Amino acid sequence: MKYSSLKVSLLIPFFFYSNYGFSEEITAQGADKVRDFYNEEHFIIEEPEAGEQSPASGKPQTINGVRIGPGDDKTGYETTGYTTNSVAITARQGIKADLIRVVENPPLGLPKIPVPVDNPLTAEKINLGRKLFFDRRLSLNDTFSCAMCHVPEQGFTSHEVEKAVGLEGRSNRRNSPSIYNTAYLERLFHDNRETSLENQIWGPLLSKNEMAMTSFGHVLQKLSTLKDYDGLFEAAFDGEGANILTLGKAFASYQRVLVSGNSAFDRWYFANEENAISDQAKRGFELFRGKGQCISCHSVGEKTALFTDKLAHNTGLGFKRSMGKKPEKERMLIAPGTYAYVKKSKKDLVGHPEMADVGVYEVTQNPDDRWKYRTPTLRNVILTAPYMHDGSMPDLKEVIAFYNQGGMLKNESGFPNVTQSPLIQPLGLTENEINDLIAFMETLTGDNIAEVISDAFSTPVGDTTNEH
Amino acid sequence: MKAHHLKAKNIIEFGLNFNTGREKQPYVTISTKQYKLSVLVLMRIVNLGDDMNIKKFISKPLKVLAPFVAASVMATNPVMADETCMSPYMVKIVGQEDFVYVWTLGVEGLGDGQDKMVTVDVNPKSDNYGKVIASESVGGRNEAHHSGFTDDRKYLWAGGLDSNKIFIFDVHTDPAKATLVKTIDDFVSKSGGVVGPHTTYALPGRMIITGLSNNQDHGGRTALVEYTNGGEYIDTYWMPTDDNLQGAHKGGQFADGYGYDVRALPSKNVMLTSSFTGWSNYMMDFGAMLGDAEAMKRFGNTMVIWDLHTRKPKQVLDVPGAPLEVRCAWKPENQYCFSTTALTSQIVLLHDNDNDGMWQADNVSDIANPADIPLPVDISIQSDDALLWVNTFLDGMTRAYDITDPHAPKEVYSKKIGNQVNMVSSSWDGKRLYYTTSLLGNWDKKAQDNDQFIKLYHWDGKEMTEQFVIDFHAEKLGRAHQMRFGAYSLYGKTAKVEQAKNPIVAMSK
Repeated sequence: MKYSSLKVSLLIPFFFYSNYGFSEEITAQGADKVRDFYNEEHFIIEEPEAGEQSPASGKPQTINGVRIGPGDDKTGYETTGYTTNSVAITARQGIKADLIRVVENPPLGLPKIPVPVDNPLTAEKINLGRKLFFDRRLSLNDTFSCAMCHVPEQGFTSHEVEKAVGLEGRSNRRNSPSIYNTAYLERLFHDNRETSLENQIWGPLLSKNEMAMTSFGHVLQKLSTLKDYDGLFEAAFDGEGANILTLGKAFASYQRVLVSGNSAFDRWYFANEENAISDQAKRGFELFRGKGQCISCHSVGEKTALFTDKLAHNTGLGFKRSMGKKPEKERMLIAPGTYAYVKKSKKDLVGHPEMADVGVYEVTQNPDDRWKYRTPTLRNVILTAPYMHDGSMPDLKEVIAFYNQGGMLKNESGFPNVTQSPLIQPLGLTENEINDLIAFMETLTGDNIAEVISDAFSTPVGDTTNEH
Repeated sequence: MKAHHLKAKNIIEFGLNFNTGREKQPYVTISTKQYKLSVLVLMRIVNLGDDMNIKKFISKPLKVLAPFVAASVMATNPVMADETCMSPYMVKIVGQEDFVYVWTLGVEGLGDGQDKMVTVDVNPKSDNYGKVIASESVGGRNEAHHSGFTDDRKYLWAGGLDSNKIFIFDVHTDPAKATLVKTIDDFVSKSGGVVGPHTTYALPGRMIITGLSNNQDHGGRTALVEYTNGGEYIDTYWMPTDDNLQGAHKGGQFADGYGYDVRALPSKNVMLTSSFTGWSNYMMDFGAMLGDAEAMKRFGNTMVIWDLHTRKPKQVLDVPGAPLEVRCAWKPENQYCFSTTALTSQIVLLHDNDNDGMWQADNVSDIANPADIPLPVDISIQSDDALLWVNTFLDGMTRAYDITDPHAPKEVYSKKIGNQVNMVSSSWDGKRLYYTTSLLGNWDKKAQDNDQFIKLYHWDGKEMTEQFVIDFHAEKLGRAHQMRFGAYSLYGKTAKVEQAKNPIVAMSK
């Protein structure tokens, strides 16, 4: 999409009807023109150069009629050239998929799915788990399902907020992690605190700042009043009804089959399809396993690649959030291409103080684990913005730039980050190399994304009805 | 004049169509003089103009006009009174209101912790003037927000932006106590996924409800939803999006599909909707949201012009910066509306400049200093279209803008109401201005800056004088949000409450 200079010239007076002139225009370095009023005390308007391309990565694609990415696309919102690309809620229709087939035939690049002996996968359990996953009635006030934060077309995470927002709007400290390929994880959540998909569901169900149900019994009792579940647990679990174990097993069964591989990278690397990825992506992979050292944590095996070592590391980011100084003034986007500066003191008037987050330490109570978080997989990574455990980075460029400068070894006052991983070092990557790395990461999107999203869309969202 | 007359016909037919199947209208006996007078008032209300063919108009069978006449007869008595922001289909009141119904958010740990409709006695002749005289708790914290009467003004519909419940209060059986008679709890499933019932706006026999969000991603794409006055779901009208403009003309860069407020301008056969943000943002801690770069991209930048009769979108207008409240001028010759943008602090004039059916949105004035992000919230237009009151949440100020030239509003007065202020409701004569403080449960200021009150000021055209204040924290009530006015005289009652013979059987669940 090309930006029209005409549009820009029309839009400017629209923002500023009469009171502001442009005599104080400052032209910044780089491609973007910056309009700045009264020395950072007033709005800034950023406009694209005429003919400038909108960022390609992150722009939603449509595959087989399925939007991959938010239906409410904000790519390019940072400039006045932004145009909407919204799709209708009513277009969110889908077709049920045969998800269980991945058990026998894992996609290229991924190992066989580990399945617990006491919870073999069946179509009935997967269907039940999917129904539960999209059921908003499983929350205290009927407004929250798992899918409200793990939105299928948004990579089973949320592009719309950095940190998840829970029941009654309660704040969470971390970004919703994607659930693609969680089947391969022995430990779950950013801090690795949970030990199985079967157990995992109870955290969100019972957390006051997530779905806020008040007890195990409360969940099961509420479920028993929902007539559309009559007989479903019994059918899936050999006559056994809903209880603490079967509920966990049903949820786990749906999540376990959301595996996604056979990406362009897999076809190139594991199946020797020479043209599956571009030369730029190939250069990116060389940097990935060479100069960038990314592969140290985002593991790639001989026959398969999870792109995670499943371990927790202190990259410096958690330390920066906890121990770094906050700026007195922040630049904030208030409309497409329009920024203002907001003082911290003003923000503090309307916000609760940010909650501390010390990572894995909170689980182990071992000071050595301060600010450690699990390495996320890079599979489907372009579908899961914003990035990092706190969602603080909007795109991969910013993520790589963070690693490129070597984390954060001490804060502004000189307080040292003693647990920062020695693997985090300044990398000296050039801008071209960073772009190569991004091109490589764009090849990691699985081939079944559209199918899985469509399957999710085929499931009715559970909301309160009076029709029984 | 001819055009006016044609539109008048449309409106009558429209009223009839949408009265089908509703409760029987009250039978009224009135004199010819009263009838003529009431038709004049009705025309005033629906912006028909005083110059149309009155004889032809009033030659319509009485039964055709019964619903309007019933309302406007009452309006010709000294009963009239209400703020200037409500539906033109509703009886307006020009005298002294008796009550203000305050839709109040429960606060965890304060009093009973749940949302409530608080009735405040505001008649200066009453012994209870300036006091809370009733409070109806509804259960839960639903993110109580806006409320609106049905066109017959018997019921007050109040929405919960979080729980998606709509609470219907009887305000006519005993106007001194808004009483919950029905709760719609399946709004989301009935509407096909609309979340966040916001404005509850009266059309003839119907309530049109704007959504803010949806049950799929809790983002900003949403719809208008129509119900009968009796609480039966009718239809959902999705806001136009790029892939499905539904025939609407997209004049600019945006068709985001977001929603917020709705107002009708019957003389132009249009409805206007504005756009805010989805559940994830309006429920989020305000400070956290300001620091969340992704969330800050999720605001509406559009207004939509709808065909009032067919409920089809006609035009999508670019209005960047989250245009919120919509208020239309009252004088028949003033066929324009205003909105204000929350984030970019602009007064926006919406008008069909060339009278060719193509509307445009012009930013006509800054509000305070936009760079300070004062956050314009509620606005109220004076009934003579001379002043627009604009509240700015973050500095707690109310400002009056002279809008006699709608293209060039000028700030003529300002006053600090509190540490924060949201809603303003004006009496029809413009002499009384009521203020409340809460914006959204998680957006209100924290700690000692979290004022929660209702205040009444008298306005003499030059200065405001405080009359009373009720501290909603001290009274253990919660966060004071939207205000609607009530009066005994609307229902032919006096302060000594008459017992209704058959009050609300049809409404009870």
